[in-house]
Amino acid sequence: MKKFLYLFFVLSLGLFAGCEEISPEINPQMGPNTDPDDPSPVEDQPRQVLIEEFTGVRCVNCPDGSEAIETLLNIHGEQLVAVSIHSSGSFSVPNDENAYDFRTTEGDNILSFLGEPIGYPTAVVNRKKFPDEFDLQLGKGQWAGYIAEEAALPPKVRIGIEPSYDVNSRDLSVDVALYVEETITGEARLSVMLLENDITDAQVTPDGLEEGYKHKHVLRDMLTNYDGDIIPEELAADAEIEKSFDTTIPADWVDSNVSIVVFVSLAGEVKDVLQAHQVKMVE
Amino acid sequence: MKNLKSTFGAILIFSFCQLAYAQDGGRIAGNLETNVNFFVRDSLIGAANTPQYDRQLYGAESWLNLTYSNWGFDFGLRFDIFNNSNLLNPTGSYTDQGIGRWFIKKKIHQLGISVGYLYDQIGSGIIFRAFEQRPLLIDNALFGARLTYDIAPDWEIKAFTGLQKQQFDTYKSVIKGASLEGFITGDSTSTWSMAPGIGAVNRTLDDASMNSLVATINTYTKEDAFVPNYNTYAFSLYNTLSVGNFAWYVEGAYKTEDNMNDPFGEFVRDSTILIGNKLFSEPGSVIYTSLSYARKGFGITLEGKRTENFDFRTRPQEQLNRGLVNFLPPMARVNTYRLTARYNAATQPLGELALQTDISYRPSRKVGFNVNFSNITDLDQNLLYRELYTEIQFKHKRTWNILGGVQIQRYNQEVFEFKPNVPIVETLTPYVDVLYKFDRKKSIRFEFQYMNTGKDDKGERHDYGDWLFGLIEFSIAPHYTITISDMYNVGPGKNSPVQDGEKQAIHYPRFDIFYTHKSNRFSLSYVKQVEGVVCTGGICRLEPAFSGVKMTVNSSF
Repeated sequence: MKKFLYLFFVLSLGLFAGCEEISPEINPQMGPNTDPDDPSPVEDQPRQVLIEEFTGVRCVNCPDGSEAIETLLNIHGEQLVAVSIHSSGSFSVPNDENAYDFRTTEGDNILSFLGEPIGYPTAVVNRKKFPDEFDLQLGKGQWAGYIAEEAALPPKVRIGIEPSYDVNSRDLSVDVALYVEETITGEARLSVMLLENDITDAQVTPDGLEEGYKHKHVLRDMLTNYDGDIIPEELAADAEIEKSFDTTIPADWVDSNVSIVVFVSLAGEVKDVLQAHQVKMVE
Repeated sequence: MKNLKSTFGAILIFSFCQLAYAQDGGRIAGNLETNVNFFVRDSLIGAANTPQYDRQLYGAESWLNLTYSNWGFDFGLRFDIFNNSNLLNPTGSYTDQGIGRWFIKKKIHQLGISVGYLYDQIGSGIIFRAFEQRPLLIDNALFGARLTYDIAPDWEIKAFTGLQKQQFDTYKSVIKGASLEGFITGDSTSTWSMAPGIGAVNRTLDDASMNSLVATINTYTKEDAFVPNYNTYAFSLYNTLSVGNFAWYVEGAYKTEDNMNDPFGEFVRDSTILIGNKLFSEPGSVIYTSLSYARKGFGITLEGKRTENFDFRTRPQEQLNRGLVNFLPPMARVNTYRLTARYNAATQPLGELALQTDISYRPSRKVGFNVNFSNITDLDQNLLYRELYTEIQFKHKRTWNILGGVQIQRYNQEVFEFKPNVPIVETLTPYVDVLYKFDRKKSIRFEFQYMNTGKDDKGERHDYGDWLFGLIEFSIAPHYTITISDMYNVGPGKNSPVQDGEKQAIHYPRFDIFYTHKSNRFSLSYVKQVEGVVCTGGICRLEPAFSGVKMTVNSSF
């Protein structure tokens, strides 16, 4: 009996590593590489995924996350909309060498609304709590998978954005049109963000303070509440809803680098973003 | 799913109560641990900008553990509560409650059967350890089944399979393993014994985690990309040999190619190098040994460990202390005084070469000496941590107990805390602890510590700079202990809080009162605590500053 058990045990150990598995297929950096500056017409608009990166000029690991997002933008093209929110507690307090303070009240409110991360870099993909995750905040290693998963779904709503900008007065008006593809039950919200791209300012990196660092898609302001404005209209299939927003672009923003991001999200405990879309303010 | 679990939990509780009421010669035991925190915002020390300081103002955790034994069975049930808790994420808020653990165990002749949420380990835990560390909210129980079989007196085979616990859910990767452990000794007059063991563990990555992993690898260049494995195997061989006053433990472990994350990975982009989290796949190994000698009044322990690519997690996407399948023994002294415990060496699973020695000598009942030295480098011989700790203890009659010494540390803050371009923190910390007993019940104890830190190239003191710590503790046995202490940043350093352009020399006072009645213990504390690395059982994480009131209740029955 004992001999049998010993034999059983040794055989079990051998079987442990005895079989070869079929490995997954790897396709490094071979994504569609579509041009985000050449978007599809609204009637053909694919699912567009929102990634909100929480960062800070004192956050040493955040440039690594930002670089990863640039890689993901190259892969997913117009199907990925990236927003960098400078809200990370003491990490987002400007250094003495910073010319700008990228913190915004809306950014701080969004972080509070979506929940604090355990570490940085961190981002929220489509404001969705994915199965098997602790919360909405995701570490860098989880972004690519969930973005691909979300991008594969059809959009429940398509978003059209028509900006009208006066260079002299710096007045901006934004017309937003929502084309509902599938009936959306429950409360939905519309958010409009203004981003500024390629701002040169200091950033702490693993090599020390880099004064010529280019900050990408920085959240500068919102034209709605931080958690979006309620859409009072019924979001039945085939419905079309139009909204307008007006603002004046501050003088220290480079207007050719400003983008407008619009997204529709659910309200309540589930905050999922149903569709996002981005256009440049000045073509 | 959660409703199903709650229903199951309720049925289990009901069954448990029925069993408990039956009291058919059975035995019921349990314990309660409750922590309550009231948060008082203090922006200057960094106790701010979390949900608790901003709006919740309160957080609590509680664990009620019950065990019942009867008819050869052991039953266990634990109810966990987290309300606005910052234990899971020190800057976040976590609220949930439910059955945190249950198990059933039964021994049928030589066969042992266990199912439920199980804590266990193989050897010293290098290839597998399912464990709990409440101060860091680590609960890596294995939710599954375990069989043991006593194949001979002092020889046991063990096999297990299951999923790792993830709060009130589980990760989806399957973990299974087996071990054979025994004990050999000579006849009744022999002075030697051996406790050999062999173990193996396999982790099979779940499909969702693999899909996510593949998507991330697909963002890499061809040079950085690799083909990940679903299955990783870890093997371990270990033995404790005891001969007379000597004891020698040695364990060697090997892990097949595994998908891991390097937080200091290098990406080459357009001829520039970027540093950050990077996935890679390599086999790993650990060699750990501990040799000790002890006789009356004298003891010496020598330890050595070499670690290479031995981060073993339920899925590679998990960060920091989450999803750990194994446990690597720490190789630095576990310090208890406030300032000597300020800088801790977190285990580096990807590469570490560590040596430690501990010598204690007690020539008489009145005097004792202890010296501890540890040196930890990475595999390229870059210093991570070095500590020399000395201690002299002197007892006079039964009234005085004086303990003092000096600690010298070198701490690689850049690696342990991810702070770029900071120098290695140098500290010199003399300390003294004096206990005076007025009578059999009343005593008073004083602690005094001073931490002197080194200066960087610009003449600024490392990290937070120099500290003074003083403590007075008055005890009336067996019920009351009252403690008042202050940690004062007497020489502010580079990272000390700044107000109006001036570095602030801030006090961090603390007041505690403990009341013990039989098996119940209560505490009430007012705390201001500086940020720092907190380690429990060799596992560390960066904890933000705290300001507020803490209450605890502990009970066992």
